Amino acid sequence: MAAPALADERVAAGPGGRARRGPGRRRDHLVGALLVAPALVYFLVFLLYPALSALYYSFTDWNLRSDANWVGLANYADLLFDDVKYPHFWTSVRVTLQYTLIAVPLTLVAALAQALLLNAIRRGANLFRLLLFLPVVTAEAAVGAIWRWLYDPQYGLINTLLGLVGIPGQNWLNTPELVIPALAFIAAWQCGISMIIYLAGLKGIPGTIQEAAVIDGAGPWQRFWRVTFPMLRPTTFYLLVTGVIAALQVFGLVYVIFSGNGRSVTGGPEQSGLTYVLHLYLFAFRYDAMGAACAMSFILLVFIVIVTALQFRFVRQEAS
Amino acid sequence: MGRGLVRGAVVATLATALAACGGSGGGGGGQGDAKQLTFWMYQDRTPQAGQVIEKVRQDFEQANPGVTVKIVKIPKDDYNTKLGSAVAGKSTPDAGILDQPLVSKYALDGTIKEVPAGLIDEADYYKGALDTNRAGGKLYGLPQDQTTVALFYNKKLVPAPPKTWDDLKRISAQVHAADANVAGMNVPKGDGYGAWMFPGVVHGAGGEMVDDAGKKVLFDQQPAVEALQLWVDLQQSSPRKITDSDKPFENGLAAMTISGPWDVPTIREQFPDLDFGVAPLPYKSEPAGNIGGEDSVVFSASPNADLAWKWLAFLAGAEHNGAVADAFGGFPVHLKARVVAGGPEQAAFLDQLKVAHARPAVPQWIQVNDEIIAPAIESALTGKATAQQALSDAAGRTRSLLGWNG
Amino acid sequence: MRKASMYAALVLLAAVSVVPFLWMLATSFKHGQDIYSKVPSLLPLDRKTGEWAATLGNYDYVLGVGGLGGAFVNSVWVCAVLVPAKLLIDALAAYAFARIPFPGRDRLFVIMLGGMMVPAITLLVPRIHVTQSLGMFDTGWGLIVPNIASVLDIFLMRQFFLSLPAELEEAALIDGAGRMRIFWTIVLPLSKPVLAVVTITSFLFHWNDLVWPLLVTNDPELYTLPLALQQLVASPDGGRAYYIMAGATLAVLPVIAVLLVFQRRILAGIAFTGLKG
Repeated sequence: MAAPALADERVAAGPGGRARRGPGRRRDHLVGALLVAPALVYFLVFLLYPALSALYYSFTDWNLRSDANWVGLANYADLLFDDVKYPHFWTSVRVTLQYTLIAVPLTLVAALAQALLLNAIRRGANLFRLLLFLPVVTAEAAVGAIWRWLYDPQYGLINTLLGLVGIPGQNWLNTPELVIPALAFIAAWQCGISMIIYLAGLKGIPGTIQEAAVIDGAGPWQRFWRVTFPMLRPTTFYLLVTGVIAALQVFGLVYVIFSGNGRSVTGGPEQSGLTYVLHLYLFAFRYDAMGAACAMSFILLVFIVIVTALQFRFVRQEAS
Repeated sequence: MGRGLVRGAVVATLATALAACGGSGGGGGGQGDAKQLTFWMYQDRTPQAGQVIEKVRQDFEQANPGVTVKIVKIPKDDYNTKLGSAVAGKSTPDAGILDQPLVSKYALDGTIKEVPAGLIDEADYYKGALDTNRAGGKLYGLPQDQTTVALFYNKKLVPAPPKTWDDLKRISAQVHAADANVAGMNVPKGDGYGAWMFPGVVHGAGGEMVDDAGKKVLFDQQPAVEALQLWVDLQQSSPRKITDSDKPFENGLAAMTISGPWDVPTIREQFPDLDFGVAPLPYKSEPAGNIGGEDSVVFSASPNADLAWKWLAFLAGAEHNGAVADAFGGFPVHLKARVVAGGPEQAAFLDQLKVAHARPAVPQWIQVNDEIIAPAIESALTGKATAQQALSDAAGRTRSLLGWNG
Repeated sequence: MRKASMYAALVLLAAVSVVPFLWMLATSFKHGQDIYSKVPSLLPLDRKTGEWAATLGNYDYVLGVGGLGGAFVNSVWVCAVLVPAKLLIDALAAYAFARIPFPGRDRLFVIMLGGMMVPAITLLVPRIHVTQSLGMFDTGWGLIVPNIASVLDIFLMRQFFLSLPAELEEAALIDGAGRMRIFWTIVLPLSKPVLAVVTITSFLFHWNDLVWPLLVTNDPELYTLPLALQQLVASPDGGRAYYIMAGATLAVLPVIAVLLVFQRRILAGIAFTGLKG
């Protein structure tokens, strides 16, 4: 995220960029510092300090209660290499990658399709926009409960609807191969924010470009691939980067879906829904290994940074 | 400009600065008024159970003028998470329910207090229940109830409950053969809950999960393998597509299931038409089952420890423990407490309790249960491994994790 | 013809969006066992006779025993204080980062951006420590102050401020207006779209947030809506769909009402953010 912000040449060109002279300049320094101060205090107290202390705990055997003992790199080494202590660490990595690879593209496609349709119509656009936005406003606890029922193998609406078109009903949340697609579908169902952002991107495409393409005789399909989609690349890139960061941290939904019914949360059938952060959560709060959980979160941080950097390097290059 | 700046910065800093003001009221856990006790427990199983606890609370306050007891009820799924963060936030309650496997851990690192001498007469309590509160030979908590699981059966589909494993398999097959849309048995799954049920079945074949004292893992031996094979066999007449739906037993889609006394009132209330009975768990060589229940402890940070112990002893005492245990969904732990009269199913639970075994007292047991045994059960149930392969592999992992040789 | 197929596609997509809500709404009015009908119904019907059988009993339960009423009030309070305060803090910082030079500004901004990548779960427990040492654990402030700024929101607003034409502000500067005057009278009025985005996203997030309130409150009187909902979902009888859905409906109705009333300003506002990555 840092790169585009920094590269923005407008930083220097804006009125703030052109430094004033004399007392005005000194006053600017004071005002600027004062305006940033509350956010900075917040950053130091609730972001930087917690992050550093989590980093410290990741080198200890802390269990939330007793004093933390320094164990050096043991947590990191054990997580990566000791499959007796952490038999499902790599499972959780695999599950999370699968989820990300399915959920993010699915969400983007759904959001883009909705935005294109909304952008093409006039009458009723407001109503449709509202209806398509609805899934975003629901609390996670409720989303999990609703979908657990929709996916129910006996009473679920989804199997009933599939039955109408002759597809046999599935045991969605209890078949390892179907768990991730089922979760990804819920994510795509909640694509409203991405849809709105795509819509913003579409509104930003000058009408003259589209008209020129029409005059050149391009059909709607060609116009989409030659004009619209390339123009939307910055938006797609933004949604891709933030979407991947969020998908790698998916937690609330799986926690709600696989808890309850008296079952302890062990991540669905054959750990097929054991996402990275759910696994981390279990070690933090259920298996008494906060130190290891902190180490997991820094492994995740490093991974997120690498994935994001790769996207900036390759996807962005391709985009421009 | 000055005024604008003041307006902006002052308003903005306000919220952050309020941090300092927020301090005065904070803390929780009985700070301030020395006569307030905070007690954490699981969410009520039924509204009636909530009324029972409320009544006992009022009795206690009446018997101890000037004392107020504040009871906080938390969903079981979230309880340990909340407790962990309260410990980290140095805001534990005065007293609370604690999962049996956690008592020894919390005792070892000094998070909870030792039971003061003379608080109770240990001879008044069921030994098994009391022993779940021991760590290093010392007593760190009081039991509040003991409970066990048994076989629930739908009387319409199962006229006479099975006694042995062979009966169970036969009846399950008959039910499913008669109606392919009904499962014979709601077979436990390879999740945390299924792994928690499993030891009771193993005991029914005369086996043990582990030998705590000898540090030996035993669940790769014949009895456990047979127990798992039983579940594998039962699945043939109990498709998951049926049993994975919401409340299959209550809806008549599964003829039998395993559950505890706490489920009886909720089923009766939600599904009044369901005609069901409860029988002891079927066994192979000897009647057996699991023992469970709730323990209660006093946290070291409590400024009112004496009063907190008094409250716990009040709950666990002869006079109230019958009602309290019933509200918790179990049976009294005090020998002289009166068992609240229940329905006809109560006898089955009480019989079952007599032959029930405690779960292994290994501090890491929750992790072994969730991360090793549950996946092993699942891999056998889904046919990815034989029961023997799955359990041998799991036993090997458990030995490595615990550092045991046998 | 093309329009017709577009509308058909939109109706289909909207149906996928809305049907789960209709199911939620219908279930919230159902009597206990009617949720177990072989053919799921989007109306509260008796599962045996198929006749209309709606009840308000579930709402009665969740508002009374379920404690949703109090939680509702708490959620309103938390959002009413938190969302505007957060908006203000973030906007001021974003404005300074965009327009007012001071030494080390850009380096500071990059460092703060780095903080965005730290997974939220990493910070949970240390944040509890901080909250506790500030004396805010298990208080209303503990729900508010630890969430009172957001680096992502600062980033979004800074980008927007940078995209505003600088001429207006420069002219005002030359006329001798102070930075704060410019901020209040020129920049903010032009920034309604981004303010709308940040307001709606942070409102939705905090209205629905479960994890932080779960960890930082002990006292049930401080519970917010998602916590009260979670009590219904994780209840020891396995969770009763009709109670959960009544609770979920109550939680979602005010949000829908806000969306309906402000839909022009909020959704349309978002659509004009000029967010270009």
